Amino acid sequence: MNGLLWVLPGLPAVSGALLLIAHLVPSRRHDGGAEPYGEPARGRSGWASGKGGAHGEPAAGRRPGGLLRGAREGLAGPVAVLVAVVTLLVAVLVAVDRPRADTVLFDGLRSGLAVDGLSAVMVVTVAAVALAVLAFAAGEARDARFFGLMLLFTAAMLVTVTAADLALLLMAWEVMGAMSYALIGYRWHDAEHARSADLAFVTTRAGDLGLYLAAGCALAGTGSLSLAALPAAGSPWAHLIAAGIVVAALGKSAQLPFSFWLSRAMAGPSAVSALLHSATMVAAGAYLLLRVEPLLAATGWAATLVAWAGALTALLLGAVALAQRDLKQLLAASTCAQVGFMVLAAGVAAVAGGVAHLVAHAAVKSLLFLCAGVWLTTLGTEDLVRLRGAARRHPVTGVTFGIGAAALAGLPPLSLWVTKDAVLASVHPPALRVVAFAATLLAAAYATKALIVVWRPGAPAPPQPGKRPGEGPLGWAPLAALALAAAGFGVVGVPVVFDGWAGLLGVPAERGPGAAELAVSGGLAVVVAGLVLAVRRRGVRPLGVDLWWGPARWFGLERVARTAVARPVMALAGALARFDDRVIDGAVHGAARAVTRAAGIARTPVETGIDGVVRAVAAGAGRLGTLARRPQTGQAHLYLAQAAIGLALLAVVIALVR
Amino acid sequence: MNEDPSALLPELLMLGGAVIGLLTGAFTRRDRQRAVAWICGTALTGAAVATAFAAVRPDTMAFEAYAVDPLTNVTRVTVAVATLLVVVLAAGWARGNRREAEVYVLLLLAALGAVVLAGAGDLLVFAAAYLVASIPAYALAGFAEDGRGTEAALKYYLMGAFLGVIMLAGVTLLYGLKGTTSYMSLAGAPGAAAGCGILLLLAGVLFKAGAVPGHFWVPDVTEGAPPVVAAFVTTVPKIGALAGLLRLATEMFDGADAGWRPLVALIAVATMTLGNLAAFHQDNVRRLLAYSTISQAGYLLIPVAVTGQTGLARPALLFYLAAYAVTNLGAFAVVVAVGRDSLAGYAGLARRAPGLALALVVCLLGLVGTPPTAVFAGKLLVFAAAVDGGYAWLAVVAVLNTVASVFYYLRWIVPAFRPGEPPAPAPVATRVACLAATASLLLGVAAALMLTRG
Repeated sequence: MNGLLWVLPGLPAVSGALLLIAHLVPSRRHDGGAEPYGEPARGRSGWASGKGGAHGEPAAGRRPGGLLRGAREGLAGPVAVLVAVVTLLVAVLVAVDRPRADTVLFDGLRSGLAVDGLSAVMVVTVAAVALAVLAFAAGEARDARFFGLMLLFTAAMLVTVTAADLALLLMAWEVMGAMSYALIGYRWHDAEHARSADLAFVTTRAGDLGLYLAAGCALAGTGSLSLAALPAAGSPWAHLIAAGIVVAALGKSAQLPFSFWLSRAMAGPSAVSALLHSATMVAAGAYLLLRVEPLLAATGWAATLVAWAGALTALLLGAVALAQRDLKQLLAASTCAQVGFMVLAAGVAAVAGGVAHLVAHAAVKSLLFLCAGVWLTTLGTEDLVRLRGAARRHPVTGVTFGIGAAALAGLPPLSLWVTKDAVLASVHPPALRVVAFAATLLAAAYATKALIVVWRPGAPAPPQPGKRPGEGPLGWAPLAALALAAAGFGVVGVPVVFDGWAGLLGVPAERGPGAAELAVSGGLAVVVAGLVLAVRRRGVRPLGVDLWWGPARWFGLERVARTAVARPVMALAGALARFDDRVIDGAVHGAARAVTRAAGIARTPVETGIDGVVRAVAAGAGRLGTLARRPQTGQAHLYLAQAAIGLALLAVVIALVR
Repeated sequence: MNEDPSALLPELLMLGGAVIGLLTGAFTRRDRQRAVAWICGTALTGAAVATAFAAVRPDTMAFEAYAVDPLTNVTRVTVAVATLLVVVLAAGWARGNRREAEVYVLLLLAALGAVVLAGAGDLLVFAAAYLVASIPAYALAGFAEDGRGTEAALKYYLMGAFLGVIMLAGVTLLYGLKGTTSYMSLAGAPGAAAGCGILLLLAGVLFKAGAVPGHFWVPDVTEGAPPVVAAFVTTVPKIGALAGLLRLATEMFDGADAGWRPLVALIAVATMTLGNLAAFHQDNVRRLLAYSTISQAGYLLIPVAVTGQTGLARPALLFYLAAYAVTNLGAFAVVVAVGRDSLAGYAGLARRAPGLALALVVCLLGLVGTPPTAVFAGKLLVFAAAVDGGYAWLAVVAVLNTVASVFYYLRWIVPAFRPGEPPAPAPVATRVACLAATASLLLGVAAALMLTRG
């Protein structure tokens, strides 16, 4: 079974890499730039050629590479789904079997994968969401590059949640970041998308540095990189490790103050948002914090810091979500807010509750993003105003979106209502409790807002011709499965089940959500939802403030980051570059010039003299040559006379020298 | 007293070849005159083979007037091989000419004269050889019957006649002094009269060798006569003249009470310097080669000046002669092959005919004296002989001249590697050029091996 553990990430990694190679190898024309393939998804050659032909595009074989390439691209979706299915099966197997596999990565340091209760839950969640999203994406008939990147990401995520040490975790963490970058910039020929990818990547990368710090300190403090050994680190090291991990986790999870990158990450296709930027990668930060919760608790300050960061994110980003007019931006902000609850859980040692919230949120949010993707594709918009009545036009999408939004709102008896309370049950400081509770009310508000918009009767934007994702089994089955999970996962809140859940995770039993708390929070959620409904009916806009620092603009976090971090860094870099160019480079060039000049000065008397002599000799030889040819007059009598004179001279010579 | 004609077998073979060739040519249809080339070629080959047999026999004096010794034998072989190369070259050039047979016969007779010049042990034989070597050459120079060729032949003849008469005057003077014309008997000729006789004799020799002051014909004949003839008259008579001069100097001058060594050294310096200087900025390759042969004559005079003082003189001269003959013929063969006279006409040769261009480079660098060519070894021996013979300053002057000569040889090499469109090279001449270049290299390597082995 230990070998199976390597198969778990290995299978998607290898097949993803193969898909990427298959995408790249035969193309005579570089792909991507050549074919703007965008969120109004366009039918592609091969598998989707029927659709392509339907709206007037030439059939498969229209591009260099022809049928073969078209077929290969068309096969990418089914292959990816198949791989995801097998991966899910393997995930279930390892979740049951809990294997452990390691190898020597660095000299004297064992490194490997291990599946404990937390990992078991995570691998199944990740594999399941990946399958759902990939199946849905297969219905959209995307190209092999997309599926290859998605599978590689899945592999990295699986390694992240099973890594038993910081070395493997770091590798997977970096691959996740890179795949996120590649997928946000999936339509890289659009400069704006490329800039968004850059921003998201640089921001998370900046946070990732914390993980390097943590790894280095772990090696110094414990002599190993093992995650399990981290709480044993000595006094200065444990604090440094905790600080590094917290920074990395907050960055990856788009918590304050890093939240703004997730807004830009929405440039990627909706399926990417559904997998990476809601259910899995963003949750990886929360997962990491939950994983090292003993360390956070051991340091004292870290747990409190994390708890407050999570709670404040939940509150403020909830406000941001409420102020959004764009469905995907709303969902992105709500993702930050919901992940905030998980981070809060890590801070208050509510591991069972936090993981439950993570799983439920994964189902809910990927469902919502897939639905948003459907509308974005079919209606060509994600503007909430223009999405009016969208749910009525697409009943399957509309119903599942409704379930998801209701769950997000915390309406009973759906999953997030329960899991959120499972977290809140462990929050004891009153101030923290108030903030967290306010955040739940905001969640109810923004989720209801989205729900109302799409179900409200009205004339939605005219449908884009020929775009039919979300139909057929590949369209509705993933949505249905995710909706089922979103609705039913609340069963974890039943006290008996909750104890079992904690047992499954291998964490100490926690105080589950109490009946009274559930009733209060559920009731309040319903009230808030009703309030929002009433306000919407009257057409009053509750949050009309639209200043750059306001919630509609994500509190200007991006601007602050640019001003406070990016500009000084760039200015420093520019100054250093100028220093390099002018001082160091200038010194080198100056030295070279000085030497050349000195050489010139030194040369003048010497070389000019030698040169002059050489020239003089050459000129003299040339003149002598002309002189030497002068006797050659071409006239025979002169020749004879000269010969005679020559002989006479020789006679004089012989007479003299004897 | 040796009166065995077989000692003169190589000369007799050449004479016989010439006579038979002349008769065959007279009675053969014009389009079959190629046969004469074969006859002459066979005669030359036979002469070379016969010389090889003669070389293993002891030295002898045939008819008391003709020495058969290594000097003669080497000259025989060198002249035979060089003439053979010229005959092959001429076979390509003279084909179809109505006097084709005469070319080969005249070449053979002139070659015979050159050989006899070297072997002569008596002034009368020497004088006869001078005429035999000269008169066919005059005829060859005017063979093309065009204006330039005729002018060249006339100048050649006038110069030769003038200096020949002076030489005969010298012979007469010397005969008057001692009552004999044998070199050996003249050795002890007295004082100023001997010096004067030597000088008068030198006039003719210097004409044949193409050295100052008898050099005036060289550029005009080389440019005016057909290239094949130019190749011959700047090579083969020079071999005979210098070998003969060495014999004169060794056997006759050496005993004379006259300052002939400084005289010859002075002539050598004047010749090599004048030839080199005049070759500067020369744009006509044939004139360039003509001046080059003059300067080579200057180098070749060095061993003569030191003969008797050092044992190196004779081997140095003989090796240099052989090396020079092969290399100079190679260079002329390139001119014959390309058929262009201007330096610019050689542009693109390296691309058009790489082998020919390589042969040109080998021959020209050979004339400079670049290792591993034969002339390098020859020059090395000559300089060593000069130093050994007490004429170190002469060696220095020769080295300076050699350095200067690089300039004009390179002026010819460089255009060959520039882009351009030269005409298609003549195949036979190309092969001769490559053969000569190869021989030059082989001779050089062989000499290097012999010298390093001691």
